[in-house]
Amino acid sequence: MGHMAVKFFGQFLVEKGLVSRDALLKAIDLQERKNLKMGEMAVSMGYVTQADIDRAHNAQLSRDMKLGDLLVEMGILTLSQLNEIITRQKNTHLYIGEALVLVGALTGAQLQQYLDEFKADQAQYVADRIELPCAIPNSRIWEMAADLTYKMITRVLDIQFRPEKCRVVTTLDTNFMMAAMDLSGDAEARYLISVSENLQKRVAKAILREESVEGEPAEVLEDTVMEFVNVVCGNVAAKASQMGAIININPPVSIRPAATGIQVPDGHTALCFPIYVGEGEKMELILLVRQ
Amino acid sequence: MKKILVVDDSLSVARQLEKIINESGEFRCVGHAKNGAEAIKMNHTENPDIICMDMNMPGMDGLTALRSLVVLDKDVKVVMVTSLGGVGDKFTEALRLGAKNVISKPFEPAGVLQILRDL
Repeated sequence: MGHMAVKFFGQFLVEKGLVSRDALLKAIDLQERKNLKMGEMAVSMGYVTQADIDRAHNAQLSRDMKLGDLLVEMGILTLSQLNEIITRQKNTHLYIGEALVLVGALTGAQLQQYLDEFKADQAQYVADRIELPCAIPNSRIWEMAADLTYKMITRVLDIQFRPEKCRVVTTLDTNFMMAAMDLSGDAEARYLISVSENLQKRVAKAILREESVEGEPAEVLEDTVMEFVNVVCGNVAAKASQMGAIININPPVSIRPAATGIQVPDGHTALCFPIYVGEGEKMELILLVRQ
Repeated sequence: MKKILVVDDSLSVARQLEKIINESGEFRCVGHAKNGAEAIKMNHTENPDIICMDMNMPGMDGLTALRSLVVLDKDVKVVMVTSLGGVGDKFTEALRLGAKNVISKPFEPAGVLQILRDL
């Protein structure tokens, strides 16, 4: 079974040795010179001055708004001008593949062939629809996180399961152990995977690529669940960046929950995605989303 | 046989990488550092040919350590091993700081060995 990660095209090419690291950096430098940022495009189209941009940047320090929206709110740009700028940015965008052809690292025919190979490589991570039970900030990101978790349980852990309907909970059920990672940036949540004892061993076998994990220290077994969480969350950050959102990850931690479970902290919504693996086993994905 | 230093706070990732490296017959793992600061020390004491280093570690993270390593040892060859490989900005930053390549997690043994061979 393939264990490929979520990737972007340039990375795929360098990992496979199809273009060199230096050629990719050259192409990225070219992209950065050619692809104007929103403010630069607005200035080049004559809609604003650099002084307007500086003023908006200063205002951004105390306002959590995108530059374009702020320029409209400040009366510097009209909404139709903003739309025109965004359309121009999209229409003139230099993609990494085109940039690699321009710097002479690929021919046009190679670009097409490698793009097809890249799409086939990434097809396993094309999103399926997940339904959340309530309105929640950044719902598209959390739907994607749940979808990617399911795909990685299959691909990385080789565990067959049935996803059950997501529900909002006020207490997290106890279980043998949980591994957690805090996500920050454009969307904030604590991502948790909870596993029963036997499932922890199945995770460990898959992560360590061992037939048996009998005799492994508890510390190593716990670490494998944390590593699974790390792998999923890193790939969630990669998918989020393709969706235009920045997500930062932090080192994972392990939790041994009390028999009474864990109370959901104030100001958070806990989305619980039960993952049915079999009789007597318990696995859950929990997203503690900051409201 | 080329010597490899593994740098990762995760015991299980270090175990996976050591197994892939030592079973290859082409490379030998000479040690395991748990953070960037240990990596800098062990690069000096073990003199590896290649360093496989995580990005997301408590204490000194991988990119901070990479910055120091390339200044202290101009011949150092560092490959980042990370679940964040698919985040374009992180990948580009690692290459710009001097990483020779980036291995994304989850990885396959054959892919890891191919990248090490290509260095």
